[in-house]
Amino acid sequence: MDVLMNFVVVLAVAVGVAGAIGVLYASGLRLWAAGTLDSAGNAHLGYRIVSVLCFSACVAIVLFALWLMIPVFH
Amino acid sequence: MDIATLVIVGLVIVVALTFDFTNGFHDTANAMATSIATGALKPKTAVIAAGTLNLVGAFLSTEVAKTISGGLINEEAVSIGAEFILAGLIGAILWNLITWLVGLPSSSSHALFGGLVGAVIIGAGVEGVNFGVVVSKILIPALVSPIVAGLAAFAACKLIFFIVRKMDEKQMIDGFRHGQTITACLVALSHGTNDAQKTMGIITLTLISTGLQTSGTGPQLWVVAVCGLAIALGTYMGGWRVIRTLGKGLTEITTPQGFAAEAASATTILVSSHLGFALSTTQVCSGSIIGSGLGKKGNEVSWATAARMLVTWLITFPCAGVIGAVACAITKFGMYGTIGLFIAFLLLALVIFRLSRRNPVTATNVNDSKDVRLNPIATQTNAAVGQAA
Repeated sequence: MDVLMNFVVVLAVAVGVAGAIGVLYASGLRLWAAGTLDSAGNAHLGYRIVSVLCFSACVAIVLFALWLMIPVFH
Repeated sequence: MDIATLVIVGLVIVVALTFDFTNGFHDTANAMATSIATGALKPKTAVIAAGTLNLVGAFLSTEVAKTISGGLINEEAVSIGAEFILAGLIGAILWNLITWLVGLPSSSSHALFGGLVGAVIIGAGVEGVNFGVVVSKILIPALVSPIVAGLAAFAACKLIFFIVRKMDEKQMIDGFRHGQTITACLVALSHGTNDAQKTMGIITLTLISTGLQTSGTGPQLWVVAVCGLAIALGTYMGGWRVIRTLGKGLTEITTPQGFAAEAASATTILVSSHLGFALSTTQVCSGSIIGSGLGKKGNEVSWATAARMLVTWLITFPCAGVIGAVACAITKFGMYGTIGLFIAFLLLALVIFRLSRRNPVTATNVNDSKDVRLNPIATQTNAAVGQAA
């Protein structure tokens, strides 16, 4: 029973975190691309800001992964 | 200390470092196969990055295991002597080389544990093995790892393709190339922080058991350095045969899929080890690649290759165990038996290496085909046709 519970927890967390990373990085790319100047010369600063926030969240996740990986930190 | 013990300790260190080398050699594919297949990294760049990160990882984490067998062997009842370790290591190395020859990924940890258990069964009897732990630490993870990682990669892949569906394809491929490189490096670093410690633990516990190191102390700096270098060198040499199977043999991968696969692998490895349900890196990475293959509409997965991998994972433990058992039986003939075993091991390794040269897979041709063959069949047939004409 414990093994099954562990399996379900690992599965749920892994799917959730991997999905979240995928969503953040893909959104960052899409919003960055959408933030380029349009034909009228208007910049979409809002898209760029949200894009940077998405990439920053990805960086934070990578740093957290490094923190988990390196025993000296915890 | 008598000369026989010194010889055995010396052989254990040499064989342990060889195991470490094959561990890196075999597992380069886990981190870098998808990056090489998608072209996110050039093959040589990928193995240099993976090798360097494995070396760094070895120094970052020196928390070696307190037991050699991870609970598989009842170490309170059975004292794991140097001859058991030597036999177990030889079982693991030969199994790693055989699976590398046929280009199939398999868990080096499972091979090591299998070799040790086989040696202990011959040397100390069946009662020395905790079969319940074998089921919970070997059999269940072999079945669970690809499912967890595969579902994580599948979910990530589906979400990614939904979000980027209206993006320019070139922009998307380039964007995910960077992401894939970073996630692959995370997997390589995590490999270095975990796998070099196995060998450090083996050498340290051997030195302690023979009185060459004080009990309760951690690995010495030279042990950390040589283990890190051995795994890094193995990783740098690149097990190209396994890289081809994982990168090209399972499914056709693009950079978004590679990113999803590596992110899912890194996440699953970290989550499972921190929740106390450690899964095999090899099986996790293979499952992720299958999941990412299924995550893209219209993509095909080679289920025949996936089935061969699953069979390999299930037989790794018993096959390494049989080799370990035979090796342990030979060590029972004393020092001459041990030296004879070492020579036989070298000869077998040489035979496997020679067989691999019949149809070599290298950095230059790793992406040229989807499967790994022992003989270059097509070339031979063409040559025969040419001669007949």
